[in-house]
Amino acid sequence: MTKPIIECQGLTHIYKNTVVAVDNLNLKVLPGEVVGIIGQNGSGKTTLVKHFNGLLKPTKGKVLIDGRDTTTMKIQELAKTVGYVFQNPNQQLFAKTVESELEFGPRNIGCSEEEVIERREHAIEFFGLENIRLSHPYRIGFPLRKLVGMASIYTMKPKIYIVDEPTTGQDHITTKRVNNLINKLRDEGATIICVAHDMILLADIAQRMIVMKDSKIILDGKMKEVFLNFETIKSTHITPPQVTEVSRVLLQNKKIGKDDLCLTIPEMTTLLKKKIK
Amino acid sequence: MQGVYIPINYIPGDSIIHKIAPIPKFIWVLGFLLIGFSTRNPAILGALVLFGFIMVFVAKVWKPFTIAFIIWIPLAFTTFFFQGIAPAFPRPWEPIFSFGPFTVYQIGLYSGLTLVLRAWAVTIVALVSIFTTHPGDLFTSLQKLGMPFELNFILTMTLQLIPILQNELYVVLSAQKSRGLKGTGFGALIPSMVPVFAGTIERVSQLSIGLESKAFGSKTKKTSYRNISMYPKDYIILVIGALVSAAITYWIFVDKSLDWSRTFLFPKPVAIAMITVAVLGFLTYMIFVIYILIKV
Repeated sequence: MTKPIIECQGLTHIYKNTVVAVDNLNLKVLPGEVVGIIGQNGSGKTTLVKHFNGLLKPTKGKVLIDGRDTTTMKIQELAKTVGYVFQNPNQQLFAKTVESELEFGPRNIGCSEEEVIERREHAIEFFGLENIRLSHPYRIGFPLRKLVGMASIYTMKPKIYIVDEPTTGQDHITTKRVNNLINKLRDEGATIICVAHDMILLADIAQRMIVMKDSKIILDGKMKEVFLNFETIKSTHITPPQVTEVSRVLLQNKKIGKDDLCLTIPEMTTLLKKKIK
Repeated sequence: MQGVYIPINYIPGDSIIHKIAPIPKFIWVLGFLLIGFSTRNPAILGALVLFGFIMVFVAKVWKPFTIAFIIWIPLAFTTFFFQGIAPAFPRPWEPIFSFGPFTVYQIGLYSGLTLVLRAWAVTIVALVSIFTTHPGDLFTSLQKLGMPFELNFILTMTLQLIPILQNELYVVLSAQKSRGLKGTGFGALIPSMVPVFAGTIERVSQLSIGLESKAFGSKTKKTSYRNISMYPKDYIILVIGALVSAAITYWIFVDKSLDWSRTFLFPKPVAIAMITVAVLGFLTYMIFVIYILIKV
């Protein structure tokens, strides 16, 4: 049996001894999984993922990353395994050029100079940043800045990526680009935890969906299984992708079966073609 | 959001001090400042400190007060020690004892003691006022007294910016630590400060656009959601504060015997004990800071 790369055992986090943000949570994530975490604001998503790279330590319970207890590790040590892409790239970027921004992480984790340059060049190619490599990160547009933020984590080659709202404030082209990049990271074998409200993005990239409400996990499973729990999803005020809504209506009217529930437009197109035939 | 905050802001409560209107409290702070900076008499300054602690006790703000005030402990040790060996007073200096290249002087200890007491007195009363007064109430009151709205607004925004910046710094430090940065010391300064300042400039720019678009600067009479009423008790407290402050200040200026700088002598064992405590306190603090820097 594959050993989980992330494991939470009875994880509880209480802020300032009063606010329970995560309540007795158990979770296992296997290597290479792409997991979407959704839920309303304040449901505990960000608090949960901040335990994965040691930014928060459990009030009760344990978090094991690659078998090691996070309470025994520093954030800087965990950064080699867990990369956290913040929602707002402005909070991460500070260097004079995109190139030096990409070199910052690998240097911090002790890579040799050759390794730093090699990783930087690979990231520039992977993220398509060739034209802006010498630009100041604050002089490029927000969508590209977000990609630089992701690339600055990519150069650290973590096994696990935590991506917080990767498509917020992005145009369609950059959203598509982010989508492709996450799929490429998955193909490279990375484990990806994506906290998002963008259901279309999650429908495209996530194999597994975790729904949080009131500091607890209320649903955990494959995307379709999760969206089949109509009433529970409704209680969290999450809006599924429009095609999922359409197929839900079709399902409730017994026009299609449970297996036909659609998450993406291509799936819906295939279903409709099949039905028309 | 969890972070390292120095909690210098309003703490809701129902104590007697919370219920006093902002203006009388403001007068009391001015009174403390006036007396504190008019005298070097340790007894008067000590009384102010004692009175300040009683106010903290009555206001029930011990916890945030301790967190904010603890910053003063190492500063007090440092001030006391350096004043002891290099007094900010004109000569002659009467030596008490020497150790190595350092000589501790009577006037130095006196100066150190009074400086620390003065700083504590002013800080304590200021903290109590901040903890027990809603900023909106204070500025509404000042506006009623004729302070220009624009100046009032600038002060309000500045006060609001402190917790925002503290929070921003926490997020930025978290982001940089996630990239393997050692999150403390000088090394963390540039990677952390650039995003904080860039974010602040952007925030200020957006705020000014927002203000312009909402007709900030128009000359019409400004109204406020907050209505501050002064009750008879507030007037009594205000008058008592003003009269007592004026009376003590007058006494300080008239009675020259209150200047104990040349007559207040520390016995040698007491002086040695005081300097030892100051040096040990300072060293303990430094070791603690270095330990934290290495550990984090």
